[in-house]
Amino acid sequence: MRLLATFALIAYCSSSFAEPAPLQLPPAPGPATGLADSAALRATVFGTPPQDIAPLPESVPMLEMDLALPWRRPVPQIFWFDKRLRVWFSAQKKPAPLAIIISGTGSDANTSKLSVLRAVLYGAGYHVLTMPSPTFPGFIVSASTTGVAGDFMQDGQDLYAALGEVVAHLPRKTQITDVHILGYSLGGANAAIVKSIDAAEHKLHIHRAVMINPPVSLFATIGRLDKLYAVSLGNGDAGIERFYQQLYAALANAYRASGRVELDEDFLLGAAAAVLKTDAQFSAAIALSFRIALSNVFLAGDMYSGAGVVIDPAHPPKVGDSLEETARVLRSKTFAEYFTRIFAPYYIKRRPNGTVDSLIAQNRLEIIGDQLRSDADYYCLTNSDDLILDKAELAWLKKTLDTRIAVYDHGGHLGNLGDRQQAADLLAMLDGRWERAH
Amino acid sequence: MGAGALMRRAARIACAFAALALAGCASEVQFHRWPAETPADNNKADIARMQGVQAAAAASSKPVAPAPEQAASAAEPAAQPVTPDDAPSLLTYDPWGRLNRFTYRFNTRFDEAIFLPVANGYRRLVPSPLRAGVHNFFANLTEIDSTINYTLQGRLHRSVRSLGRFVINTTLGIGGLFDVADKLVHLPYEPTGFGTTLAKWGMHPGPYLVIPLYGPSTFREGVGLGVDYVTLYEINLADLYRGDQSWGLGVANAVDQRANIDFRYYSTGSPFEYETIRFLIVRKQLIEDAGLHKSKPLPKSNPEEPAGK
Repeated sequence: MRLLATFALIAYCSSSFAEPAPLQLPPAPGPATGLADSAALRATVFGTPPQDIAPLPESVPMLEMDLALPWRRPVPQIFWFDKRLRVWFSAQKKPAPLAIIISGTGSDANTSKLSVLRAVLYGAGYHVLTMPSPTFPGFIVSASTTGVAGDFMQDGQDLYAALGEVVAHLPRKTQITDVHILGYSLGGANAAIVKSIDAAEHKLHIHRAVMINPPVSLFATIGRLDKLYAVSLGNGDAGIERFYQQLYAALANAYRASGRVELDEDFLLGAAAAVLKTDAQFSAAIALSFRIALSNVFLAGDMYSGAGVVIDPAHPPKVGDSLEETARVLRSKTFAEYFTRIFAPYYIKRRPNGTVDSLIAQNRLEIIGDQLRSDADYYCLTNSDDLILDKAELAWLKKTLDTRIAVYDHGGHLGNLGDRQQAADLLAMLDGRWERAH
Repeated sequence: MGAGALMRRAARIACAFAALALAGCASEVQFHRWPAETPADNNKADIARMQGVQAAAAASSKPVAPAPEQAASAAEPAAQPVTPDDAPSLLTYDPWGRLNRFTYRFNTRFDEAIFLPVANGYRRLVPSPLRAGVHNFFANLTEIDSTINYTLQGRLHRSVRSLGRFVINTTLGIGGLFDVADKLVHLPYEPTGFGTTLAKWGMHPGPYLVIPLYGPSTFREGVGLGVDYVTLYEINLADLYRGDQSWGLGVANAVDQRANIDFRYYSTGSPFEYETIRFLIVRKQLIEDAGLHKSKPLPKSNPEEPAGK
């Protein structure tokens, strides 16, 4: 094991030396998010309290669709299970509008957050189609044309093409009267961009788009997430090890005190309060969950682009090989490092006059700013304490969307998803009732 | 019908499923109908659970009389709290890694092609009260094993509880179809097995082990499962384990278990899923072990020594 670690370290160091002039990502603008306020952190981790969730229907049908897309790139062996795009469809029995929901960073098409949105929309009479995030490994492998995820426009185009295939293969008896799109977190930005692409290509005839807690500038947001990680966990492996040790000890003590005979979900739910106590620990939990999503995006991007940062392109791992060392090396990789070592080199090479600055600019919602301003069918729901935004970005959203945005005082990042007020506002926006009321 | 005929029939059904699954592999789009989600009920359950957690938190802040078993162990020296330095290494002991990865992959394919579709069909077609009855029936049978193992672990109070549950549910609960022991006398289902007995006797979890068809576990738990099965087979209550119907019952038991496990292989989409599950399973067992040995200090952890060794 130690031998392997040494090899991985040597390979890692030599690959860093081989790189001529490392690209630099400028620091995220705006004040350091650092530790966001306590209530926002807790709302972000715990999510919407179940008693605050909007009324939900008794039953929602679930059809899983697994699609083999013709443009899929050759699949690296270790991603053998991701060959098909997996989406979920809930059909009404009568003609109805279709709501397409895009998942958040690194997530698949059937998360608990999607379940809430699906139920709210299905209960309101929509056919509901849930899509994975373009940063979900299952999407990168089955549907991405580049394998290097995270670019607003490229991901939008890949999503748009995939949606075309999915909608064409929906069960034949489905009768669709109108098409809307929405998404949460990164999926919110993806949804708006897909609508803007459709406005030019007219294949899906998307009518309204709602962004829920979207980022405004992708690279400012990832800068903030790196900062959140650095402040709460430090750099390198020591911080994460310490955090793990704290969690382990807190869980073990809570378990010993509980007198239970099994460590199950009920116990974990009850123990959460005993385990996460300080703002730093809540911040660490949030930063870590984004990092876990990043490790998959990083690995896929590295392999598809052949950058060779963590995987030697000449000797890719095979099915059955241990990935423990790769996982360990990836643990300390930041979003900034993904940008400078994989994303930017890949896209700068392929875009005329591409620079770091142009890539940053291309990954701001401003790229569809004109549509957001002039097309009355774009909407947004967000929170004034969302930790992925700063004040200037929130002000930009408000100014750009004018009356077509609802900003709640509390909820952090997605901590009020599906609560009564937000669900009512979401439905008003999708139904076209919002403008009249505001 | 003899056991042989049943086996042949089961084999034929399995082949038909495999053929269907393979035929589906080639097509552009595969459709899988899942049981409908029940958001209103799920939300109600979440609210009840949250209230339970809050009530428990409020109760734990007041001093209460310890449970009999805890009272018995109160005579033991006070437990040293687990400190962060006691946490096992981030590494996990997995000397059979290559075989385990192969088994994990096999389990994934088997689950996707046969196990999960059958369990989903069962959940879609069989009404929930009937499924609850089936689940209670199989759970009730394990009380015999729990009674024996709680005795072997020296937890006589729990042993009597398991036996009491078995007697009540078998009689009042009509052969175990209804869990009246939980509903009427508040004796919840808390099973144990020989794996836990070995842990109580001081055996380490040992190497990580992915068991074919069953899933991720450890060497100790694997041995425990085997002994649990042999125990039930030897007791052979009402000839359930050796009679003609034993194959059918075994399949029904497996389908019931699968239908009650909310896990799907590679739903993470991540090549690190194997490492993640391995990490979690072994930590879960080590924390459960720490719960079994309340008064014992944990072994000193060494960051270089993989957890579970």
